[in-house]
Amino acid sequence: MRWLACSLALFIVFSVGSGCRTDYDIADVAPEEHLESEDHHDHDHDHEHENEHEHSIDEEMEEAHAEGPSGHVHGAGERNHGTQWFFNQPWAAPFIWGKLFRDALTFLFLAVGIFLVTRRRRKI
Amino acid sequence: MKAVFTFSLMTLRMLFRKRTLWGILLVILLALAGIAAVPSFDVSNQGRFVLDFGLFGIEVGALLLALGLAANLYPRDRETRTLMPLIAVPLSRWQYLLGRFFGAALIQAAALLVTCLGLMLILLFHKLPIPGDLLPATLLIIVEGWFLLSTVFFFSFFTSPPLNWPLTTMLFIVSQMSVSEFVGILPSAPGLMRAVRMLLPHADVFHIKDPIAHGFEIEPVYFLIAIFYGLCYSAFMLSVALAVFRGRDLK
Repeated sequence: MRWLACSLALFIVFSVGSGCRTDYDIADVAPEEHLESEDHHDHDHDHEHENEHEHSIDEEMEEAHAEGPSGHVHGAGERNHGTQWFFNQPWAAPFIWGKLFRDALTFLFLAVGIFLVTRRRRKI
Repeated sequence: MKAVFTFSLMTLRMLFRKRTLWGILLVILLALAGIAAVPSFDVSNQGRFVLDFGLFGIEVGALLLALGLAANLYPRDRETRTLMPLIAVPLSRWQYLLGRFFGAALIQAAALLVTCLGLMLILLFHKLPIPGDLLPATLLIIVEGWFLLSTVFFFSFFTSPPLNWPLTTMLFIVSQMSVSEFVGILPSAPGLMRAVRMLLPHADVFHIKDPIAHGFEIEPVYFLIAIFYGLCYSAFMLSVALAVFRGRDLK
């Protein structure tokens, strides 16, 4: 029972230790700079749409499909609009790696705790 | 640990002779070849398309392999009465479980590496570039496969194989859900749902097919954390499975 108590105590410590929330999505805790690409760019949309009338309807439809909802594509190394979901994945969010590590340690302690607590219950 | 090692080698040899393994492997390889044959309707993105769907196919293959290899192991041992003499003298219950798990895990890892090799050959055949992170991505899928394997063992101790398949598949689907989606199932108790969600695995940790397909580099430390997370979760599931197994009356 001691191990179970220790495991529970560690579970609580780890749960409280990272942002005082048990579990959360990346978008819930992402810092401003991680999310800012969606809305904070200053674009000269008028300039981009200056020559729109020169395109045929077919070409415009093709562009709309290729470029996404905002109608333009950023250069290499910059995020495009509507791609926040892509960067809200664990590999792209180093600020969540600590939580992953905390969860992993919690599971490890729980595993050891359960193994030791159930050890003496039955021989065969 | 010598007993576990010996028993896992026995399990490995036994599973290697099973037709289920070869059947599932063939299905995965055929699916990968089929994916490559589907046009992406955009020549420049054909490589991304094949990689993205190919890695998804390998992930589904990991689920099929886990179920095909392990769902029948314990029920058959019990049915054929080979379990009793095994755990009566040479092995304790945890050694039996670990032996079976390691044997199945090695076979599953080898099969997934073969599928990764198959995907590489398909990319080469279609003259598409092979990204350097394809092998690490497969390694993460292997770890995810081990988690699924431990889940299959957990369910196999108290359900029949036909019920094991939908239960494991359901857990596989739930583990793909985000926290907000999961809380949405029961919005009146967000704290409870968040705590329950933490006890369920986060399968998105193992997904790096999007950045690989789009040429993003992933920091090596992330691989280590993701592998550590997967291994710890597998250990947790195995310990819960062992707790159920230890409580079972085998008479």
